[in-house]
Amino acid sequence: MKYKTTGATTSIHAGGRLASYYWQRTRRNKLAIAGLAFIIFLIFLALFGPFFTMDPTEVNFEEKNLPPIGFSVEKSTYDIETSEFTTTIIPGTWKHPLGTDNKGRDLLAMIISGARISLLVGLIATGMAIILGTIIGVLSAYAGGWVDNALMRFTDIMMTFPFFLLLVLIVFIFGHSLIFIVLAIGLTGWTGTARLIRSESLSLRTREFVTAARAIGARDRRVIFRHLIPNVMSLIIVITTLSIPGVIMAEAALSFIGLGDPTWTSWGIILSAGQHTLDTAWWIAVEPGIMLFLTVLAFNFLGDGLRDAFDPKSNI
Amino acid sequence: MGKTWLRDYLIKRLIYSVIIAWGILTITFILVRAGPSSPADKYLANLTASGQDVAAVVSAIEARYGLDKPLWEQYFSYLGNLFRGNWGWSFSTSMPVMELIKTHWVYSFQLILLSSIFAAILGILIGIYSAVKQYTRTDYTLTFLSFVGISLPNFWLGVMLILLFSVKMGIFKTYYDTTLPLFSLENLKALVLPVMTLGTGMVAGYVRYTRSAMLDNLRKGFVTTARAKGLPERTVIGKHVFRNAMLPLITIIMFDLGSIVFGGAYLTEIVFGIPGLGQVSFNAIFANDYPVVVAVTLIGTLLVLLINLVTDITYTYLDPRIRYD
Amino acid sequence: MSKTILSAKNLKTHFYTNRGVVKAVNGVNFELSCGECLCLVGESGCGKSVTALSLLRLLDSPPARIVDGKVSYGDIDLVKCPTRQLRQIRGKDIAMIFQEAQSALNPVLSIGNQITEQIKLHEKISRRQARDRALALLEEMGIPSAERVIDAYPHQLSGGMKQRAMIAMSLSCDPQILIADEPTTAVDVTIQAQILEIFRNLRARKQMSFIFITHDLAIVNEIGDRAVVMYGGRDVETAPVSQIINNPRHPYTKGLIACLPDISKTEKRLESIPGNTPNPIELPPGCPFHPRCPKAMEICNRDMPLPITISQGHTVSCHLYT
Repeated sequence: MKYKTTGATTSIHAGGRLASYYWQRTRRNKLAIAGLAFIIFLIFLALFGPFFTMDPTEVNFEEKNLPPIGFSVEKSTYDIETSEFTTTIIPGTWKHPLGTDNKGRDLLAMIISGARISLLVGLIATGMAIILGTIIGVLSAYAGGWVDNALMRFTDIMMTFPFFLLLVLIVFIFGHSLIFIVLAIGLTGWTGTARLIRSESLSLRTREFVTAARAIGARDRRVIFRHLIPNVMSLIIVITTLSIPGVIMAEAALSFIGLGDPTWTSWGIILSAGQHTLDTAWWIAVEPGIMLFLTVLAFNFLGDGLRDAFDPKSNI
Repeated sequence: MGKTWLRDYLIKRLIYSVIIAWGILTITFILVRAGPSSPADKYLANLTASGQDVAAVVSAIEARYGLDKPLWEQYFSYLGNLFRGNWGWSFSTSMPVMELIKTHWVYSFQLILLSSIFAAILGILIGIYSAVKQYTRTDYTLTFLSFVGISLPNFWLGVMLILLFSVKMGIFKTYYDTTLPLFSLENLKALVLPVMTLGTGMVAGYVRYTRSAMLDNLRKGFVTTARAKGLPERTVIGKHVFRNAMLPLITIIMFDLGSIVFGGAYLTEIVFGIPGLGQVSFNAIFANDYPVVVAVTLIGTLLVLLINLVTDITYTYLDPRIRYD
Repeated sequence: MSKTILSAKNLKTHFYTNRGVVKAVNGVNFELSCGECLCLVGESGCGKSVTALSLLRLLDSPPARIVDGKVSYGDIDLVKCPTRQLRQIRGKDIAMIFQEAQSALNPVLSIGNQITEQIKLHEKISRRQARDRALALLEEMGIPSAERVIDAYPHQLSGGMKQRAMIAMSLSCDPQILIADEPTTAVDVTIQAQILEIFRNLRARKQMSFIFITHDLAIVNEIGDRAVVMYGGRDVETAPVSQIINNPRHPYTKGLIACLPDISKTEKRLESIPGNTPNPIELPPGCPFHPRCPKAMEICNRDMPLPITISQGHTVSCHLYT
């Protein structure tokens, strides 16, 4: 007879052993580990970098538009008196390893400063969105009835707004200081999470292991949470990791179009400025973009790896 | 069996969409009115430079925009105006917002349409190929590339393409000529880079969704049955597997259109200077031109609503497993 | 009697997974004669389904691979022949039906579509004619209101009707051989009876040969002419059904027969064969059954027993008879 598996298997002791089991599975995915390594590197950079680099806001017009190390730029000056063009080759120096922008600010310092912003906004705004989404999702699933209906209609309405357009509108109306940006992202990015958490909560309630737990006399609803929470936790972890890149991109895009916080150096702002000097100082546009790209890529690899690790049906 | 259930479903769904539309308009209204400064203040900032009498201007504006009336009245005249096509007046361009939208929406439409077609064809084909060749190096490479595609910030990609092709190599120009007909060769050439920019993220997404949907179905029983009947492999994949994969794929692609593509198009227009609605909104932001920014957001949202409605009906019609008797 | 139309010699199909090589089929031999019903019997995991799928090369080629053996259909070796030739045989000369009709049928295509597709693939007739033939087939299978069913989708039919539709589909091109992979396992007893009835009718009317895979000895007794008992990926005993039931020779077959509960006896405990089926990744050396065999000898641990004919049409693979 074919062996049919039911969902009646209870989870292994939640906590230590389960976590290490999932970690083992994640480890086998090399891309995910590479992503994690990059993220850790980025965190270090953001935390300790500023101690080792110059002041990113220090303006020095003498040293504007310098190339990064390993590259050099030609500069022609026309001497009126001799009616001659003199071309000098200006190489990159270790003083400004990533070059300088059009006001002479050190790009390495600016990039590191941008990393702080991206991570800050990424983590806080995502955290807000996830928490809000989870609360709404769980509430909706357990309350049921008209509460569920009303919350889900509201979620539908909010979900219809294209994320970026809504963000632009809110930041335009309320102003673009960093706090508002974080709030705006947090208060608009919860919809997907709410849906997923709600559907998972609904399905968990009727799964056989809950029935089994009740059948053996699990009195407290708290005991049931010992079974439900680990299952939702894994979903939350995956959703969080996969939401962060979208948030970081959103903040960078806002800064790019000028709706960022001008008192902070975000990668988006650097990129935006770099657009105008593509022919003379291309690195200004290239460098923040590479960092943005690698950061987003890292979180996507990690998130995907975690998702596979947590999915019992995928054989890793 | 009759198709009356489809008609009933359509009606139900339409009513639901109207409710959502109402919710969208209301939320937008709340956002605008909850803002820290009234449109009057923003217009004021532009005017005081021209040295007009501040107090008189303020009261004139408030009277004109009904800002002195109670909130309820404002709300209903807001809704009424929207229905009648009066979406406000654009300060910065001195024309009705509706007029502004009418002249510029085609460019956004063109960009999104071309990018979507390009992305859909390429993405689905690559996705099917990747799924059929699972576990081969080709599959791993394509999967890796699709990760790269969705992680590339699309505004940066645009700038990089400009750097590479326009600045360094001088192939494509970077501006768009609105005096020429829409689908003229000149303009289409100018659209190559923008379509590549907007399309890359979309292609990568479509590759992933298609591959995933195909893989879900490739190991199913009916595939073995189809082969056991002697069908050639291309029919097995193309007819049997793909028809099953296609259904959820349509939903995902349409949903993606709403949540990500409009934002992507907005940025792409700005980078390449395409005079679509995104560019219009961008210009309006810096002129503090409230009604325009609000209008563009509303249009985008209502369009998404429409797309969702159409997708839902189409899916319900196509999937034989759904019947509401 | 009649001639052999299909034969398998030393068929070996292995699965290459990242946990090791699964030797699902490890040397299977049998012969199918014209007009006979041959049953492949065994517990789950003995390799009977994989054997059936291997006959038409229906397994996904990574991870499965037919590593050895020959399947002769006429003068064609189905294991090695080009794919194009194999596709002409599939569905037309040799057809197959599966255990669960719900997963075997495509949920988004109508029944009629799936049947006529097969007909039009192998024969040059019009759509109208193909549809008429499909209708006739469905009626033949005892499906009421075939007109409605032909345009229906699988999920709209009951379990029994789906099974019949699947059988109708397999017969649409009048195949010579029908391979049935446990068609009665996933259905309840009433439908089981109906399906067996269909098979009996088919056998009586058409000159078809059947390979019927099951784990249920009662079904073997009802419908089979000859049976191949399988264990651990090998055929351990092949004989006419009456011989298998009344005169089993292989210790495993004897154990199987003994397991059948007999209402007339009043014993308190049910008999069973001690131990578990072998892990196909780590098969024991020599005879796959020897760890559980009450008559195991030294040689059983070393050498693989080969099939030996002990009487007319009765072969055993066991060192007891070497």
